[in-house]
Amino acid sequence: MVDPDFQRQALGHLDALYNFAMYLTRRPPDADDLVQETYLRAFRFSHRFQPGTHLRAWLFQILRNTFLTFYRVREREAPIAEEGVPEWDVPMFHHAPDDDGTAMDSHTDLERAMRRLPEEFRTVLLLAEVEGLPLEEVARVMACPVGTVKSRIFRAKERLRGLLRDYETR
Amino acid sequence: MSERFDESSDEMLSRRLAGELPRYAAPAHLRVTIVDAAAPSARRPAWLAPLLSAAATVMVLALAVVPVLPRIVPSEPAQRYVRAVVSEHSRTLMWGARHGEILPTALPWLTQESGIALPKVFVGDDRLEFITAEPVYLERQRGIAIHYRDVDGHILTYIALPAPGLTVPDPARVQIDRWRPALVRDSGFAAWVWKQGDVGCFLVSGMVSADDIERFKEYFRRVRSTTEPVLAY
Repeated sequence: MVDPDFQRQALGHLDALYNFAMYLTRRPPDADDLVQETYLRAFRFSHRFQPGTHLRAWLFQILRNTFLTFYRVREREAPIAEEGVPEWDVPMFHHAPDDDGTAMDSHTDLERAMRRLPEEFRTVLLLAEVEGLPLEEVARVMACPVGTVKSRIFRAKERLRGLLRDYETR
Repeated sequence: MSERFDESSDEMLSRRLAGELPRYAAPAHLRVTIVDAAAPSARRPAWLAPLLSAAATVMVLALAVVPVLPRIVPSEPAQRYVRAVVSEHSRTLMWGARHGEILPTALPWLTQESGIALPKVFVGDDRLEFITAEPVYLERQRGIAIHYRDVDGHILTYIALPAPGLTVPDPARVQIDRWRPALVRDSGFAAWVWKQGDVGCFLVSGMVSADDIERFKEYFRRVRSTTEPVLAY
C-alpha cells in the first residue's frame, strides 16, 4: 500500500517526468510506458526514499535507469544489427538514431537539435538547464561526479551550438 | 550565420533551453492509469487459496483413483448373472447377433465354442421365431446364447452357461406348471432364471408389464420344455 502523501507528492512531478521521458524516447506511447513504469517502481520502493532528500531527482533517476535498462537497449539494437556494426565499435556517446514516422514532430530548431544529441548530453541539459536541478542532483541522477556533469554540460552545449549553427546556415 | 549565435554564450543558450524548448505535459489518462495501477487490488480471502489447492488435489486424486476402483457389482450371484445376461441381451438389441447361423448346422460349432451341448433345443414355432445362436462369454464362463423374436417383435435371448455357484433366489420363484423359475428384473428387463444340473439358464426379454409377464411365462414353457443344455466337456 503506497503512502497517500508520498503518492501525491510523486504525482506532482508527473509533467516534468513525462517531458523528460518524451525527450528520451521521442515517442508518446513509449513515454507513457516509461513514466508508468517509473511510478510503479517508485511506489514499490517508496520505503527506500529518504524523506528530506530531493524527490524529483530520485524520480528522474528511476526514470533514466529504467530507460537505460529497457528502452535504450531496444532503441540501439535495431540500427546496430542492420548496419552490422560490431558492438565494440559503438561509441559511448552515440548519436540518437534518425527519426522515423512515429516519432514526435520537432517544433523548433532547438528541439530538433536537442533530439540529435546523444542521450547523456540530452539528459544533462534537460535536468540542469530545463528542469533546473542543482549539479549535485544531476550527478546523482546520472551516477557520476559533479565534475563529469559540468564537463558534459559544456560539451553538450558545444554540440548543441554546432547543430543550431548548421540549421541556421541551411 | 544568425546574429543570435554570434553571441551564443552559455547563458544565452541556457535561457533558450529553459524558455524556448517545448515542454510536453502528461496526458490526462496517464495520471489515472498510474493511480489505478498503484491502488491495491481487491484482496482474496486468506482461506481461498488453500481451499482451491485442496479441491484441486482431491480432484486429481479422484481422477487417479476412480479408474482402479472395483466396479460396483451386485453381491447376490443370481442378480450378478442376470445383469451380465441383460447386458448381452441389450447388445443384441442394439447391434444384432455376431454370428447368424441356422441352428441345426451351427450346433456342432456352438458346442465346440461354448462347451454347452444341446441334445434338445427349441428352434421356434408359430409364436417364436428363431433368429440366431452364438457363443458368449459371461461371468468368466463360456456359454451359448439363442435369440428369438415373437410375433409382436419382442426379442428374447436364451442363455445357458456353466453356473455352479448360482443359486436361484427362492423369494423370486414363480410356479409355472411343474417348474419354479425365478423372475428377476434388472435395468428395465425381465429374466427367468433356473438351473438344469450345473447349467444356469436365463430367458431375457423386455416384457415387464403384467400382461407381458403372462406371455413371457408361455415363452418360458416353450423353451424350458424343449431345450436340454448339458456341459459338453
